[in-house]
Amino acid sequence: MSDALAPLLEARHLTRRFQGLVAVNDVSFSLGEGEILGLIGPNGAGKTTLISLISGTLVPDEGELLFAGRRVERLAPFRRAHLGIGRTFQVMKPFPGLSVLENVTVGALFGTGGGERNRARARERARAMLDFTGLAQRVDQRAEALGGPDRKRLELAKALAMQPKLLLLDEVMAGLNPVEVDEVVGLIKRIRDEGVTILVIEHVIKAIRSLSDRVFVLHHGQKIAEGDPAAVFRDPRVVEAYLGKRRA
Amino acid sequence: MLRWAAIAAVALLLALLPLYGDAVTIQYGINALLVAVLAQAWNILGGFTGYASFGNSTFYGLGTYGTAIAMAQFGLPFWTGLLLGAALAMLCALLVGIPILRLRGPYFAIATLGLSAALSALVANLDIAGRNIGLILPLTRNDTLFYEASLALLAAATLAVAWLSASRFGMGLIAIREDEDAAAVMGVNTTLYKVVALVLSALFTAVAGGIHAYWITFIDPASAFDSTLNVRMVIMTVFGGPGTVLGPVVGAFILSAIYEALASSISTAAALFFGIVIVLAVIFMPRGLVDLGWGFRRMGPRYLLETVRQYRL
Ligand SMILES: Nc1ncnc2c1ncn2[C@@H]1O[C@H](COP(=O)(O)OP(=O)(O)O)[C@@H](O)[C@H]1O
Ligand SMILES: [Mg+2]
Repeated sequence: MSDALAPLLEARHLTRRFQGLVAVNDVSFSLGEGEILGLIGPNGAGKTTLISLISGTLVPDEGELLFAGRRVERLAPFRRAHLGIGRTFQVMKPFPGLSVLENVTVGALFGTGGGERNRARARERARAMLDFTGLAQRVDQRAEALGGPDRKRLELAKALAMQPKLLLLDEVMAGLNPVEVDEVVGLIKRIRDEGVTILVIEHVIKAIRSLSDRVFVLHHGQKIAEGDPAAVFRDPRVVEAYLGKRRA
Repeated sequence: MLRWAAIAAVALLLALLPLYGDAVTIQYGINALLVAVLAQAWNILGGFTGYASFGNSTFYGLGTYGTAIAMAQFGLPFWTGLLLGAALAMLCALLVGIPILRLRGPYFAIATLGLSAALSALVANLDIAGRNIGLILPLTRNDTLFYEASLALLAAATLAVAWLSASRFGMGLIAIREDEDAAAVMGVNTTLYKVVALVLSALFTAVAGGIHAYWITFIDPASAFDSTLNVRMVIMTVFGGPGTVLGPVVGAFILSAIYEALASSISTAAALFFGIVIVLAVIFMPRGLVDLGWGFRRMGPRYLLETVRQYRL
């Protein structure tokens, strides 16, 4: 189904090592425009590392990365942000001393295309994102004063304020209760409906099933399965590597 | 509004000081104003991005020597000397900043530590800089001029910081301080921003050095590249409120006044006082005096406990 769409992101043989460990090992995949791709795998599989390779936080040792047809694997993170790649961090990175509104305003002031240079308009955009993510009541609080679920929402709002073309979500639902998970699933669907392409890492299987057009499984840094969610979750290798272990 | 009126009133009172102050007060004023400029300049990088520079005493020395060489060796006017000094310092900031501002946090501070000693050794071996004897500048007995020039420079530095704190550029610097990885993936050109902040910091620092050199009329490598001056910049900024518009100025004025009062009686008491101030400031007001005033108005003495708890000291 994704073949019909123009690929927005294409990874070819990406490899990243940490000392002896190969965190991402010869991984190739592509992501169609407007698609939601679910990325799953046990802890330590290399999911976060893969997102960091795409956002530019890390540079690959080998392989190529194409974004909108352009080679980006050596570009600085801020240049990739300007091209339209936004991400959240699993280990959340709020600007602790700034207010919630200021946190999100940074995304609007910079972000895709270099951002909105007018501060008043950037703040307006930030407010809209805080409304959207349900943080409207928290605008004036310092980010460090937020509780866990609100911090997750803040990560999402900061990335959204960049108006990214590609959004990389690293476990934004971890630690949320089922009601909150459903809310975030709804948000992500609405973001996609706005035309944003999404790569989502998640452990909540139900959420991944309901969100993803396609699922892609990493294990020990390697891609072990890819395809339709229903088929992937039946794949014995996936059950063995991932689901089985989590049940144990 | 009230705040701006108060600031304008204080600025006017300072500007008119030569009319009502005696010679000693004016001389003390020149020193305090120049030191406040140094703190404010240090604030641009240190306060906004959180990168502690120990290279600012080098920019000060270059401003000093640029002015002195232009005036003493080439007979150029003072303003040309200031320009030369500022250009040298900004060039140095650029050359040093581009490679080492790629380093994160403490590595940057360490990398700037040796700079002053190196430049001091360099000028001590240059004929044009008077080797280790130094240079004598033409004498001008006009403390009012030096006072007003210092005040104008402090006003310019403070306006620059006020602009910073309200601009997109300043927001980028603050984002770097709060979380550099997050700032980068959100689109902040972190290296460029840090380098521009350092160059701006070098500009104000160097001009302060140039004014001081012409006022004092004699410079040598040790006094021009004095790294304890850099330590004072840090203390005053941190004491007053790093990353704020008025904190470094308030910090510099208060500490200069107390230091001056103590130094005239016993100098060891002054040194001891500074040590104690640093320790207390770090424990009870890691965000500076300005934040302390603000926190006290909001929550009273509980502020002290809150900050201690928050920073787990
Ligand atoms: N900066 C790093 N330095 C060294 N090892 C790392 C670093 N980041 C990740 N790793 C290692 O790489 C592997 C993959 O980590 P990660 O990408 O975080 O996995 P996941 O997100 O799938 O849980 C892990 O074994 C982890 O310990
Ligand atoms: Mg992870």
